[in-house]
Amino acid sequence: MDFPALGLTIRLASVTTLVLLVVATPLAAWISSGRGWGRRVVQAIVALPLVLPPTVLGFYLLVGLGPSTAVGRMVIALLGHPLAFTFWGLVVGSAVYSLPFAVQPLVAGFAGVDRGLVETAGMLGASPFAVFRRVVLPLSRISFVTAAVLTFAHTVGEFGVVLMVGGDIPGVTRTLSISIFDQVQEANYAGANRTAVWLVALSFVALLIVYARGGMRRGAEVG
Amino acid sequence: MHHRLAVRGDVGALRLDVALELGAAWTVLFGPSGCGKTSVLRAMGGVLPGVVIEFARRAVVETRVRKSGPGAPDGVGWVELGAKAPDCRGLAYAPQSGALFPHLSVRDNVGFAYSVCADPPREATIVDEALSLFKLHALCERMPRQLSGGERQRVNLARAFATPHACLLMLDEPFAGLDRGLRDELLPGMVEWGRGRGVPVVSVTHDVDEALLLGAETVRMEGGKVVAQGAARDVLAEERVRMLRNLG
Repeated sequence: MDFPALGLTIRLASVTTLVLLVVATPLAAWISSGRGWGRRVVQAIVALPLVLPPTVLGFYLLVGLGPSTAVGRMVIALLGHPLAFTFWGLVVGSAVYSLPFAVQPLVAGFAGVDRGLVETAGMLGASPFAVFRRVVLPLSRISFVTAAVLTFAHTVGEFGVVLMVGGDIPGVTRTLSISIFDQVQEANYAGANRTAVWLVALSFVALLIVYARGGMRRGAEVG
Repeated sequence: MHHRLAVRGDVGALRLDVALELGAAWTVLFGPSGCGKTSVLRAMGGVLPGVVIEFARRAVVETRVRKSGPGAPDGVGWVELGAKAPDCRGLAYAPQSGALFPHLSVRDNVGFAYSVCADPPREATIVDEALSLFKLHALCERMPRQLSGGERQRVNLARAFATPHACLLMLDEPFAGLDRGLRDELLPGMVEWGRGRGVPVVSVTHDVDEALLLGAETVRMEGGKVVAQGAARDVLAEERVRMLRNLG
């Protein structure tokens, strides 16, 4: 069992989940707060990683963060080295790749809050920020659990983007899914099986949490 | 405090075209279901899209003191509200559906406006007074799902009455779900609350008895338009005759 890869995978998934919850919350609030072409375009961009091959995404990130682009040069000037093939490069790649898994549950959660409650709160003197903080956020907290769990599970399972942006550096960018690939390449099927079981278990527990929370919500609504 | 309102626009299948002067201590918007009463309140609240609204309040206008010299003295003038955000219009609102915040207890629902007020009074006496007015002290710790329909409506009303700095109290079907005995018990206190604080009330009803009981300035609406305005007994006389004719 490749324990350094397991530790790195859990660290990567945790950091990506935290970063995405911070980024996705205002983005989802904006998308769910109205209509119009601007919001539709942003929603389509956010959903792109769902349909793009991970290697395409990884390729663009690798080039975009490299010295041939202005953004890449800025990052190199700030950090002193490129982001590619580092842990934080993996975080950027994972965040882009898992963005729809964080944004879409939050959009659904925010949009599902009774419009009458939002309007009443405003007419009782609550500013838009206070309405969001005091009414929308508490009433959509289950969406945060769903977004966090799905983001975590999706990051744990990613392969193509990680390989393109991070390569396969043991202890630095080799995650569980890449470790399985390496073990299979070496015909070490028993080792690959042990590692794969960890991924299956992690993914199953994550999905169980999502569905258990959904069941609790339905129970609460009935009660 | 006097309010002036003009609303025009299509709300679903209804063409709303209403001009109103709200100068009485209590004004009742009366009319059959679907005549646009609730839409008028929502337009005043700034949450009705697709309508053109002119909405102004006659109030003391504070004049900024200029750095270079004294400004003009404060005076009474018209404050334009139609372009302001809902939370900046100085309103308090009790919706018809109740719309209690399900994650807040009765006390926190009633204290909601106080808790989000940018410039709250030092002591939250208005919240306790509203809880007393609507006899809610015994229910303070309950959650909305633990309340009966009538109790929920009392919380809904108390939440609106407990809004600090409100300049207009808007009540949509305030006595829906309350039995007549309780309504008659609560009504004098509600009227006195508005008069005592100088806050005008505008309520919506389709119940002739309720409008007559309030004896307030009454605006009768039909098909999105105002068809009469005046004392309740005058405006509703025709309605009473029609009802008696139907009974006979």
